[in-house]
Amino acid sequence: MGSFLIRRLAGAVLVLALVSLMSFALIWLVPGDPAAAFLDASATPEQIATLRSALGLDLSLPQQMLSWYGRILSGDLGQSILLNRSVSAALIERLPVTLALAALALAFAVVVGVAAGLVAAVNHNRWPDQAVMTVALLGLSVPDFWLGLVMVLVFAVSLGWLPSGGFTAFSQSPSEWLRCMILPALTLGLVQVGFIARMARASMLDTLGQDYVRTADAKGLAKLRVVLGHALPNALIPILTVIGIVSGALLGGAVIVEQVFSIPGIGRLIVGAIASRDFPVLQGGLLFLAVVYLSINLVVDILYAVVDPRVRLA
Amino acid sequence: MAKHSVLAATIAAAFALGGAHSALAQRKGGEVAIGISQAPPSLDAQITSAQAARNVTLHIFETLYARDENAKPVPELAEGVTISPDGKTYVFPIRKDVTFHNGKKLDAGDVVASLERYRKIGASPALVAAIDTVKASGEHEVTVTLKQAQSTFLDNLSSPRAPIAIYPASEAAKEAGKIEIIGTGPYKFVEYKPDSHVKLARFDGYAPNPKGTGRDGFAGKKEAFLDAVTFRFMPEGGARTAALEAGQIQFNETVDGPTAKRLTSDARFTIHKVMPFGLQVIKFNQAQPPANDVNFRLAVQAALDMEEIMAISYADIYQMDPSWLYPGAAFHSTVGSDKYNKADLKLAKELLGKSSYKGGKVTFIVDNLRANVDTATVVQQRLKEVGIEVDIAVSDWPTVSKIGFTPTNWTFWTHGFGIEPYEGPGSVMAPWVNGLSQQAKDPEIDRIAATFNAEQDEGKRKALYDTFQKHMYDAAVAMKAGNYGVFQASTAKLKNFKPYRIPRMWGVWLEP
Repeated sequence: MGSFLIRRLAGAVLVLALVSLMSFALIWLVPGDPAAAFLDASATPEQIATLRSALGLDLSLPQQMLSWYGRILSGDLGQSILLNRSVSAALIERLPVTLALAALALAFAVVVGVAAGLVAAVNHNRWPDQAVMTVALLGLSVPDFWLGLVMVLVFAVSLGWLPSGGFTAFSQSPSEWLRCMILPALTLGLVQVGFIARMARASMLDTLGQDYVRTADAKGLAKLRVVLGHALPNALIPILTVIGIVSGALLGGAVIVEQVFSIPGIGRLIVGAIASRDFPVLQGGLLFLAVVYLSINLVVDILYAVVDPRVRLA
Repeated sequence: MAKHSVLAATIAAAFALGGAHSALAQRKGGEVAIGISQAPPSLDAQITSAQAARNVTLHIFETLYARDENAKPVPELAEGVTISPDGKTYVFPIRKDVTFHNGKKLDAGDVVASLERYRKIGASPALVAAIDTVKASGEHEVTVTLKQAQSTFLDNLSSPRAPIAIYPASEAAKEAGKIEIIGTGPYKFVEYKPDSHVKLARFDGYAPNPKGTGRDGFAGKKEAFLDAVTFRFMPEGGARTAALEAGQIQFNETVDGPTAKRLTSDARFTIHKVMPFGLQVIKFNQAQPPANDVNFRLAVQAALDMEEIMAISYADIYQMDPSWLYPGAAFHSTVGSDKYNKADLKLAKELLGKSSYKGGKVTFIVDNLRANVDTATVVQQRLKEVGIEVDIAVSDWPTVSKIGFTPTNWTFWTHGFGIEPYEGPGSVMAPWVNGLSQQAKDPEIDRIAATFNAEQDEGKRKALYDTFQKHMYDAAVAMKAGNYGVFQASTAKLKNFKPYRIPRMWGVWLEP
């Protein structure tokens, strides 16, 4: 287990090193002077020079790189040009919103996806199977921004059950917070339901064909007990890996969903930073998301190894 | 004639009665949420020229002079001005009845500190570049001395672009973006949630300008009836419309044409037209061939069907007008209209034959705003008919606006001019001075602009502006396609709203 952990951690560190290098290089990918790119055309040379200095662009390339790594290793992601605060503060402020959104969406996707996969597998090649797989394929094919707008149209405009967008902090009103989060979480989660359902079905079908399941059946155990008690726990192992992948996709999907539902999360912060060329936020945000993504995958890998010893021995 | 008089009297009486009815219907209370497409970069009004910031800050802050309904500068926090005969000294008596949102009374010290702050860190330094000194010449009097006479000084002082907002002296001493949001406007700041909203509340200590008789541009009598106004940042147009229909916002800053048409037939909503909101400009890069050749530019100008461009790019919300200023502006002029919207392919081919263009692709840079891409596409198709091959390069606005201010990698660039024509002739000329927008100096424009800025005589200034506009057409410096507007939508319960440069929430009220 120790060497498995070391291998996984080393891999994560390597990926982080690459991402940090890409984040650093980001500022150089912009055509022309990044400081001038932020300011408008009427900016005076003095204003451009001040911003260049604030961004550290007046230093040589090795000095800039040294300063970048020095800062990120001490946890300092720099100062936002636009938000008048540190990048870390801006990210931390928005992190709970994005994490809550992703967690709700994940919970929804896992519960519904696994249940749907299970129903499909148990009814293999019958109409419930085909219905579930058709809906799953639809879910996978629908763009989340379109789905979001349709959800708003149905549940907010036509039925008036839920707000069309906006955000209320949990501390302000837990019930209002939940009402604000339902539609975005459903939108984000629905796309992933299809993915999880297909994986769950395949995994369950594989497990249901195993000898021990046939034995349980032959012993005359109730069908429900065979499926839920014997087959499902073993079928869940590959699904765990999928959940890791889905978590990353949810963080990515949150960028779009937060835009559609006007939710002040990290995705919206990054989109705003792209539009306004707020490079420190863009660099810090990219690095931060990479850390979150890698952490989730690391946890899933470890859990996987705990559940299935063959993985850590491989 | 008598019949006409009776009719006129009847109409006048109807309006008077309507006015009386409106006055009776005024109602204090209620909250309005406005969906705006972008978050303001800052609420420190002096340091940002973003439209999103203006939407909010012009409810909170006021200026010495402000623009009236026709964009003419009129006193706001100043009682008036006395200008010395040489045009270099401006003495502003300051109103004594004005209170800041923190309870402090406005005095000359606040005005001096605010003007000095703007000179150091204001977002449009050109507005105050002519100032030599700013001094308090009394408790309620400020004297501004200019380095040289500048006829556009009051225009500058009242510009809403990045307003020269008056702050309490204690706030004006602070760095950019570090101030407490305290102004003298009809609404006071309540809270700002990043990426979510800004909330304002009615300032009950507000003293309306005693000289104001009613809502008048950014000036006049600003009566706030609403208890609170919240600006929600909603980038997605469909989400804003849905929020309006679901009753979560009461005003949508901008809706597209098809949505406006759909909502028009719904009694729950009112559609407003802000017309004109901007003018569509097609620029040439004169730093390199072929647009450095006047015959090439004239050929393009002759070829284009401007009405076709506007009808496709801004369906249902455009107007054809050759002037580089908006209708109603003091210097609005039709000079040069003989060369506007000619759509003359024969003449275009003749002019192109005289030019140095001998084929080859030219690049049209454009941002991803639908109307601008449509404009580029129509131009591309039209120019194909005279033998000019156009490649369209679409990028996001920050990228395009950077390339467009460099002398290479583009020949055409289209976008809107919104605030410039509103601000007046000085601002319309400014983008072409020193070759800033066309990337090659134009001595004639530089001469006209310099003379215009120093000239005090109104008649001579008008003549100079006409000369500028004529030159824009004669040398095809750039092309104006037409004026465009913006559709806005509100709940039908919002009464007495009148479209303007920002969605003004003074003078309006909510019916139950």
